Amino acid sequence: MRCGTARRRLSDDIDGALRSGRNPGVEAHLRACPACRAYREELGRIQAAAALPAAPAPEFWDSFEKQVSRKIVAQEAGRASVAVPLSFRRRSAWAAAAAAVLAGVALGYLLLGPGPRSTEAWVPYGDPLDRLIFAAEADPELAGRVEQEFRVSIAELLPAPEETEVAAVFAADPFFWEGLSEDELQAIVAALETESGHGGPQ
Amino acid sequence: MDERPEERLVEEARRGGREAFAELVRRHERRVFGVALRMAGNRPDADDLAQEVFLTAWRAVGSFRGGSSFSTWLYRIAVNTSLTFLKRRGRERNRAPFDENLPVAGPGRGLPTGPEAASSLNELSARTGQAVAALPAHFRATFALVVDQGLSHAEAAGVLGCSANTVSWRMHKARKLLQARLKPFLEEVRS
Repeated sequence: MRCGTARRRLSDDIDGALRSGRNPGVEAHLRACPACRAYREELGRIQAAAALPAAPAPEFWDSFEKQVSRKIVAQEAGRASVAVPLSFRRRSAWAAAAAAVLAGVALGYLLLGPGPRSTEAWVPYGDPLDRLIFAAEADPELAGRVEQEFRVSIAELLPAPEETEVAAVFAADPFFWEGLSEDELQAIVAALETESGHGGPQ
Repeated sequence: MDERPEERLVEEARRGGREAFAELVRRHERRVFGVALRMAGNRPDADDLAQEVFLTAWRAVGSFRGGSSFSTWLYRIAVNTSLTFLKRRGRERNRAPFDENLPVAGPGRGLPTGPEAASSLNELSARTGQAVAALPAHFRATFALVVDQGLSHAEAAGVLGCSANTVSWRMHKARKLLQARLKPFLEEVRS
């Protein structure tokens, strides 16, 4: 057994995930390999040292539960903006909307080809959607237009668009942001530009 | 103490029962907060994140169909919310790339004994926390679920939407990165 294989299995073993029958092979390797024995010992120490800080005191949880309840009540009363930071809510909506927009526009846009991308001229950093969102965060008017565009896109894609539906889209895929390719992100930005005329900073 | 089974609480919450949802919050707040803390790296942000997780869950619980356990679903929202939070905050962008060759300063002293040993362990713990915080976000999320929350690879895979093999690989890779980063410190403490 090679060291790389043994170390992968050592990691599995720490997690209780080493398949039965594999342990003897790992042990045999360890008997012959001082470097992997040292590696196992170091992993054990790292594992022990990686514990999270002690849980907050009971009064923290009392306060936490009250805050959550208060925000839910405020949200139910249509006053969520009082309770939840606006920027965070907006980002969440954008995140959910991006997934929906992606489904609607990425394929068509990519099939039609990228064409000239005027966004390149006005935002010199980051991936395309980030650029737009960063720009929007500094420009409330642009932010409003972008958010509206996302909401319109969701409304077109969902049969009964409600906040619950947006949240469900948001909750359904933990990694949609990380998984979007550059082309897909550009497609979202392009859709914002070409379909609504909402582009970069004025 | 509320003895109602979780399935009943979820069903009541799905129908708009705020009191039932409050009980679900009480049952899961520590786990959600643990994930948020590992991902955000500090308590104030973790507090905000954990609250946001439950607000998102409240908005979405009507669409929860029971395809997975409620805790898996909640973990998924926690990871998703944390990743989005980190991305939007630009922390991942601004975070120094993980350099496994970057030495972590050792304690700079010989064999620790007594109070010195305790201090050394505390320092190892602090440096390990820093090293975990510097892991790429997906690795950190996997680490939070497997190491902090004690989920099996299969359970973590259910949360993360990947295979158990991917969880295994991420844990292996994360440990290699941590070991490489902490190696100088580990060796010096051991010596």
